[in-house]
Amino acid sequence: MTTENAPPWRQYLCRACGLIYDEALGDPDSGLAPGTRFEDIPDDWVCPLCGVMKADFEPCDAPGAQPQDDVPALAGAARRAAGVVVVGAGIAGWSAVQALRALDADVPITLVTACDGHRYHKPELSVAFGRGLAPQQLIREAGADAARRLGVALLADTFAVGLSPRLRQLRTTRGTLGYTKLVLAQGARAALPPPLSAALCWRVNDLAGWSGLHARLAGKTARVAIVGAGMIGCELAEDLAHAGHRVTLVDANAHPLSGLIPPALGARLADALRDAGIRYLGATRVESVERSERGDGTRAVRVATDAHGELEADEIVAAVGLVTPQRLARAAGLAFERGIVVDPRTMQTSAQHVYALGDCVSIGGAPCRFVEPIARQAAALAHHALQRAHDGYRHAAPVIRLKSRALPIVVHGAPVAQGVWDEPQRHGDGLTVRQWHDNRVVARLEARVVAPSPPGAARAAASPRPAHLEGA
Amino acid sequence: MNPVVCTSDDAAIVQRVTAIADGPLAQAAGRIDRDGHYPLEIMAALGAAGAFGAHLARGGERVGVALDAMRAISRRCGSTGFLTWCHDVCGLYMEQSGNPALNGAALDAHVAGRSFGGTALSNPMKALAGIEKLLLRAVKVPGGYRVSGALPWVSHIARGQYCGAMAGVYRDDGGLSHEILFLLRITDDVVLRPCPAFSGMEGTSTWGVRVDDCFVGDDALIADPARPFVARIRAAFVLLQAGMAMGVAQAGIDAMREVEPVLGHVNRFLDERPDALQGEFDELGARVAELAATPYDGSADYLLAVLDARVQGADLALRAAQSALLHQGARGYLASAAPQRLVREAQFVAIVTPAIKHLRWEMDRLCREELPA
Repeated sequence: MTTENAPPWRQYLCRACGLIYDEALGDPDSGLAPGTRFEDIPDDWVCPLCGVMKADFEPCDAPGAQPQDDVPALAGAARRAAGVVVVGAGIAGWSAVQALRALDADVPITLVTACDGHRYHKPELSVAFGRGLAPQQLIREAGADAARRLGVALLADTFAVGLSPRLRQLRTTRGTLGYTKLVLAQGARAALPPPLSAALCWRVNDLAGWSGLHARLAGKTARVAIVGAGMIGCELAEDLAHAGHRVTLVDANAHPLSGLIPPALGARLADALRDAGIRYLGATRVESVERSERGDGTRAVRVATDAHGELEADEIVAAVGLVTPQRLARAAGLAFERGIVVDPRTMQTSAQHVYALGDCVSIGGAPCRFVEPIARQAAALAHHALQRAHDGYRHAAPVIRLKSRALPIVVHGAPVAQGVWDEPQRHGDGLTVRQWHDNRVVARLEARVVAPSPPGAARAAASPRPAHLEGA
Repeated sequence: MNPVVCTSDDAAIVQRVTAIADGPLAQAAGRIDRDGHYPLEIMAALGAAGAFGAHLARGGERVGVALDAMRAISRRCGSTGFLTWCHDVCGLYMEQSGNPALNGAALDAHVAGRSFGGTALSNPMKALAGIEKLLLRAVKVPGGYRVSGALPWVSHIARGQYCGAMAGVYRDDGGLSHEILFLLRITDDVVLRPCPAFSGMEGTSTWGVRVDDCFVGDDALIADPARPFVARIRAAFVLLQAGMAMGVAQAGIDAMREVEPVLGHVNRFLDERPDALQGEFDELGARVAELAATPYDGSADYLLAVLDARVQGADLALRAAQSALLHQGARGYLASAAPQRLVREAQFVAIVTPAIKHLRWEMDRLCREELPA
């Protein structure tokens, strides 16, 4: 029996069946009197419920035995009256919610998202290092707050795993949702072609990815290798260099933004990036990426290339393009062509009652991964889904802006691979150049040449929020 | 050995199995459920009819046929459906082991229903998913391993039978080296301990198993190391359970329809109606049939689709069983009524490893985007 100085009674959990042995109560059926300490139980004692041995018990207060706070599971009622279900809480998902709520104050809306649902402006991820922003400063509204404001049931940290359009049923890792209308706004994922691997390469395609990289770079000057000199790769390279990091930018093409801008301008952009302190390695392929341990116990990555041998970096970022996840759409039988095929007026997919918008859709066989059209897509979709009159979405190639300090570029129209570029025309500190295809101008490009700012200049001049971003 | 059965055509196998299920099995269902009768005589007949071989490579890897057979069996008796699943996956372990001692005459007898064995992989499946710890420990000795430990409840075993089991192999320093998968033969060295009474599935011969320094020879090894083997068969392991889930769900829909002529006028006020459930059942059936065509597709997307179908099957079984009771009313509340058994069988489908929560845990793991550590 316990005395005043004896330690309190403890409980032990059977790992096999969950039975709890309580020292205070003992196990009289197998001859253990109340007050029998666990360590005093004979080793041949077995669990009175399932028969496993004493060694298979563990202290009940061990980590893992505690209940964990969690997202509430779906209530039975939610399952029946889910109304409109939106999958994805990026700009596209929240835009759809806003557009639906603006039209109908009462329609039930459930937002299913793999992340925590915080609202942030994704283009800001390309300039946030240079501005010295922390992840919390990028969040414009917490997911739970936005859900309350818009009257939405938010299922955060939840994955959509199955979709049956005929049953109007979306299956998630937290239960099955019926829907009257479904909106897919799942976005796209960073492509990771071999040898780039998820375990080693950061992707700056959402706040979680950016925050992970941010945590790794915090408080130090790091060597960062970026693979891919497209829009994201160039912007990120410049942003990281601006924040004082030593950046190497690698691309398989000779010049950055290949395919989007003419080679002459690409060469100029490469020079501008070099002036900004970035080591640009064009016409270079990555052959392998491996983790390496350094003498002082810190870790690095070794990047083997065909043209420049082996590079060592502290972190590596993959920026070789985006792909739309196919599994859910394909399994549900939705038409898919480099993205979920939608009616370009209504944003309806090939399945009735199922819509899609944002980075995950394809229009005319091509994805359109820009922020500008999303609000218009959301408005068209919301009107159609709620059966309100609307002129419909009109798709046009959005204006593309490279958020570069060294060589800001704006592209109007849609450059094509087979197109022919004019000679650039110089006007003051600006350049313009047009691309021709089939005897017509398909794209017009404007660039402004500005004097380079020294690397690392940003930290002192950081402002909390950029004023000149592309608007949603 | 009866290779004729294994290669006979799909419809004939399902027809023979269905005849047994609808005849002697349906007759025995109450006795199996209430009195805990372990229906080995019916299992033997099902083996002879070809119920246990179609999914194997030697049977042409016709997982769809094995599923149809299991569905027909489970429609009449969920316990026997579960025994069929146990038996099917045990056969899968034996064949896929590549061990001549396991996939020759031993497998012939197993497939033909002349010998019987189940699977003790509930704990290992949860252990590999990180949900609980492995309960059996093995130490390497010349010619095999010595295994110790206890498993709480293992089905479809008895003296002279066997089951697939997994143990952690520990190094001298106490660290886990790897896992082995082996066929545990239920000899006199193995202690079988009666389980507490369950609320259903009593005819599945389920025991607590305890081994103490029990020798497992190389002739009983299924896989060493076990992890790559489990990764290869995991999808098939889970997919086969869909046969059980769908059989129970179908039985629930049957019980709803049975009373439609007399109670349809009031039952139309119930939430879940047989036609709507049948629609879901058919949709799931089509998806499962498609998945059954490629049981060894090793992709994460495939596994995710299998786990999703398995959850949906359990959900459907629960709803159909509950609705069967509501549709039948007082007659379904009789202790001997089919819905009473169905409710407990559906609950079993929902909690047997991998349980609904375990399946969702796995799907969450598969969906999560990996970031650099």
